[in-house]
Amino acid sequence: MDALKLNTIWVLAKRELRSTVYGVGIYLAILISLIISSVILQNYLRAVSRDRMLITASPLSYPLFIATTICAIYLALASVTSIARDKDMQTLEVLFYGPVDHTSYILSKYLKGLLSYIFIILFLAVYFAVASITSNLGLSVKLPGVLLLSLFLTSCVITFGIFVSTLTESVRASILLFIGIVGGLIAIHVTHGMLIKMEEANLSPPLIYLRNTLSIINAGVKWASPFYYLTEGMEAASIGSVAKYTLSAVSSIIYSIIALVLSILVITKKGVKKTAGE
Amino acid sequence: MIKTVNLGKEYGDFRAVRDLSINLREGEIYGFLGPNGAGKTTTILMILSILRPTMGHIYLFGEQLNGSRAEIRSRIGVVSEKQYFYPEMTMREYLDFFGELYQVRNRRQRIGELAERVELANVLDKRVGAFSRGMQQKVGFVRALLHEPELLILDEPVSGLDPMGIRQVRGLIEEENKRGKTVFISSHLLSEIEKLCDRVAIMNNGRLLAEDRMENLVRRLTEESELDIELAEGKPGAIDELEGLDFINGVSIDGKFLRVKVKTDQDYRLDVVQTLISQGHVPVGIQVRSMSFEEAFVTITKENISLLAKVDS
Repeated sequence: MDALKLNTIWVLAKRELRSTVYGVGIYLAILISLIISSVILQNYLRAVSRDRMLITASPLSYPLFIATTICAIYLALASVTSIARDKDMQTLEVLFYGPVDHTSYILSKYLKGLLSYIFIILFLAVYFAVASITSNLGLSVKLPGVLLLSLFLTSCVITFGIFVSTLTESVRASILLFIGIVGGLIAIHVTHGMLIKMEEANLSPPLIYLRNTLSIINAGVKWASPFYYLTEGMEAASIGSVAKYTLSAVSSIIYSIIALVLSILVITKKGVKKTAGE
Repeated sequence: MIKTVNLGKEYGDFRAVRDLSINLREGEIYGFLGPNGAGKTTTILMILSILRPTMGHIYLFGEQLNGSRAEIRSRIGVVSEKQYFYPEMTMREYLDFFGELYQVRNRRQRIGELAERVELANVLDKRVGAFSRGMQQKVGFVRALLHEPELLILDEPVSGLDPMGIRQVRGLIEEENKRGKTVFISSHLLSEIEKLCDRVAIMNNGRLLAEDRMENLVRRLTEESELDIELAEGKPGAIDELEGLDFINGVSIDGKFLRVKVKTDQDYRLDVVQTLISQGHVPVGIQVRSMSFEEAFVTITKENISLLAKVDS
């Protein structure tokens, strides 16, 4: 990658990051994630005062997972809308009058997403450090590792959002497509989870057929869902399995690369102009 | 500078541009004319790699374009008909962003200088989204000139500008051309093209109808032009002598004023004057009345396509 392209990626990402940091969306996402984490922590503390004990290896892992997931959803939505908004406002076309090309444009969106998440991590790290000190709930030594892994996992969510955004022409269509895809994936996952827990003897033949079908579908589509990597990765980090942790990080990187390559291919094929000129 | 060879763009059955071959030479101001829907913007977008041609080739700075070439586009400055901005940015922030993107050295100073030239220095810290259409167009110009491009591509550059703004922009274009920049202007404002351009290309229905110097186009389209000649005094016999010449299609006289219709295959003024003098007439003034550029444009695009095709062949 040459110097011109690197400069382009950095300048584009910087402009967007500046816009994000000066906006309210990111702070709203952080606030919501911290409020929900606080509620979970408060429940833990109530349980401790009531039962005089709390049996958990890492009491802050679950609230952190929730906070990370909320922020990841915000970043996914921000990614989903960003390319469509550029197309809508036709600022995308103006960028392509100059040294911006499809690769540098997509990579700048990715970089902006990652930098936004690093910005969010700073808030989360401070919050959980303060929460640990004030609540006396142990700040596990794994926490930095979890935060680092969450960067890889969030990378999957960001690249998924970018890919969805390349498929559509408008902000509204992007959001609807994103909700449709994620909703579909969750529906498959949840339905499959419910059916798998039921005794086979209690299931009618059509439900057994449905369960088997969903097992096959779920095994295939879970790899496409960025939230699968998030869940798996957080579990790996909380149980402290180095092998699973490494596998999770590597699979997240592979997922991100595939999603980015697909995004570049789609935007190159579809072009940057919303409709043809004269 | 820009060369297209049999360039074409199709959308399904619709052919937006077909077999377009143009050649823009270094240092010239080249007008790209045509009515709405002629295919001008589509051509420009193909030159900028924003649209992919369905046939033909494009050469920029002597290199054939294959896909999107960011380093080639960074040598071009583009002003489109309408400007699109990030609404949260001030004019200074917007230009600084593009200056950084194009890696402009001393960009703060350059932004200041260009803003002065277009008389927008006093609004540099105002949000550009709130500017009038004319002001936005000027900001677009400043953006396009920031990185000292070798080639300027202007798509309807004076659209939405008031007469003062048009004058400023025309001045900018002329100045930049004098500084060595090649300029490609697409417009339907014939008066602007006429004032600025060295050569023009005329398009209609996606097809190139003509590419030449303006005076040549006019000459090619008119079979005869008229010479208005003022004589020192009205004397009989002037018409008879002139009517006998094979390049003259008709003569009329009104007192001491002669109107002579001559063929346009070459300049016959001297022949006419010499003939009159040899017969003892004293011409004191001569004026050529030929088709205006606007008339030629209308003729080419609306009425006389077949004639042009004949001339071309």
